[in-house]
Amino acid sequence: MKFLNLLKKELRELINAQMITGLVLTVVLLMAVGKVMSSATDSALSSDSGEISISDQDKTDYTSQLIQHIKDSGYKVNIFEQNNTDKAELLNQIDKDNLIIIPEGFTEEVTVKGNIGSIEIVSRMSSNSALSSLSDHSKDGVELIQNFTKNYIMSQKGFSEKEISVVDSPVNINEFTVVDDKWENISAETLKSLTTSQGMIIPIVVFILVMFTSQMIISAISTEKIDKTLETLLSVPVSRVSVLGAKMLAAAIVALINAAVYMIGFYGYMSSILGNSGSGSETGSVSDILSALGLKIGLEEYALVGMQMFLTIMICLAISLILGALVNDSKSAQTVLMPIMVLAMIPYLISLVYDVNMLSPLPRILVNAIPFTHTFSAINNIMFGRMNLFWIGLGYQTVLFVICMFFAVRLFMSDKIFTISLNLNQKKKFKKRMK
Amino acid sequence: MPILEVKDLCKQYTKVLAANKINFSIDAGEIFALIGPNGAGKTTTIRMISTLIKPTSGDAVVNGYSIINESEKVRQCITYLPDEAGAYKNMTGKSYLNFMAGMFAQSKSEIAEFTARAEKICGLKERLDEKIGSYSRGMIRKLLLARAVMTKPKLAILDEPTSGLDVINALDIRKTIKEMAKSEGTAFLLSSHNMLEIEYVSDRVGIIAGGRLLEIGKIDDLKQKYNAENLEEVFEMVVKNNEVSKSA
Repeated sequence: MKFLNLLKKELRELINAQMITGLVLTVVLLMAVGKVMSSATDSALSSDSGEISISDQDKTDYTSQLIQHIKDSGYKVNIFEQNNTDKAELLNQIDKDNLIIIPEGFTEEVTVKGNIGSIEIVSRMSSNSALSSLSDHSKDGVELIQNFTKNYIMSQKGFSEKEISVVDSPVNINEFTVVDDKWENISAETLKSLTTSQGMIIPIVVFILVMFTSQMIISAISTEKIDKTLETLLSVPVSRVSVLGAKMLAAAIVALINAAVYMIGFYGYMSSILGNSGSGSETGSVSDILSALGLKIGLEEYALVGMQMFLTIMICLAISLILGALVNDSKSAQTVLMPIMVLAMIPYLISLVYDVNMLSPLPRILVNAIPFTHTFSAINNIMFGRMNLFWIGLGYQTVLFVICMFFAVRLFMSDKIFTISLNLNQKKKFKKRMK
Repeated sequence: MPILEVKDLCKQYTKVLAANKINFSIDAGEIFALIGPNGAGKTTTIRMISTLIKPTSGDAVVNGYSIINESEKVRQCITYLPDEAGAYKNMTGKSYLNFMAGMFAQSKSEIAEFTARAEKICGLKERLDEKIGSYSRGMIRKLLLARAVMTKPKLAILDEPTSGLDVINALDIRKTIKEMAKSEGTAFLLSSHNMLEIEYVSDRVGIIAGGRLLEIGKIDDLKQKYNAENLEEVFEMVVKNNEVSKSA
């Protein structure tokens, strides 16, 4: 009954109106941002419905045929007469962001003299965002010009249509990808993009969880210490282990609620921007291929990753208990979070661009010594069948958790919970107050 | 049998002997005050009796239970109000009292009984429905004092019970302490810098300095012994005599 009373108090302290509002806002914002990005992508794609702007300075039958070929390929072609050596002014004059210029003499160079022809592309760069280049079809236009010219030259040289198509694409590529001892008829590139989208949420959620949990428990312990409510709490007829246990359990419950809410939020965000690719792209044959290769993340795999995540949270809680006890004012409460932040940041950043297991031996050992690394790499280890690495990581985390917990309990059971301090000057002051 | 019996209590920090063979006892319904300069060892002694820190040697027995071997039973008999203590700001006064009552009570009816008692003692009335974050310092102290006595403890340990309070609030708290000792038979162990307060509220005092209990007795007896007009003069003489004997 007393433990429940303690747990209720801890939960009441952690789950307040601000926290719930924050969580709801996070989910709503993530979903809204996803929707905004999705509609921005749609509008960027549909705004000019495949428009290509061309300034034809050559004005020959050949360039007319070339432009017709582009139109026949499904593009809307805007023809402009203007030309200007000042390219910025030229784009302003035609009020467009991209323009292909076919210079005078192009036809003669290519068709009569047999030389390499030149064309110009002018593009305005007003942003470095991915969406800003979606409506730029100049590259497609250039590719069509290249193909048309290549075909024209070959037909002039007497190549048959079949020969032209062979020269166009002389090698037919049939890609197979091997995962572990299984293989399927799919390109490694396609497979990579599919598996990446499956597992990209996990590191983000783990990072947020590590930071959130640590901050929560450091703040819970330090506030109790600063307000001296800890002294009152530890003088009531309940064991210190119960006080500690209630704090940890409450923090773990809140962390798991956060994890679930963030997962929902990110899923909504990803679904919006990828057009439900979280499930859609894996439907049908692609989904079967992923399953056949053992790369499809199912309930069992998520449960294993969840186990890793839970251990990470528990390690965080144990370390944070010790760090929280070092704090004697609100300023140092922020400072003590730094070591956890750095420890979480290293594997997080590495996992975004690199597989930890691909690192050379010494960096790999060092990075793997960080307990959080194993959760960041868990999804890759499970997907690619490196289950021995997964279990070693889990075992290492369990041992580390026991060690951290041992020190946390020892600290909590000793006088040091009242005397230990991060700042040496504060430590002196604190000891003075104890006398 | 005394409610509290302190026997040769010592606490050694790495370099400082904060409490050196402290001996005293408190009977039921008695108000005993530990007075001493800053760093004298008052809080260390109080924390050892409250089972928050472990003595290096010696023992204290509360209601027949040792603070070393039966700390949880000791905590069932005592309540402790630390100096400048706060309360959980997100809780309302009522929910705080409920929570603390739940840590001592064995049943729901006992929780209700403790809470009702605390509500009556603190006199905060409808303000108890508001969050503690909106309380003044005086209100928090009243709430905490009510919390400390609501369970009818055998021994209430109050570290600087009125520090930082205005005269009216301090008077209210002193009255409550005296009433509780008289009507409920609760023994009080106080620590304070305020000699006027101690003279008004305490039955006996112990003067502590440098970790040693230098004098112990009834206030009138001590005044007579030192030929002093008030407790402040007694305190000054005892502390200065100790410094002289130490330097000699």
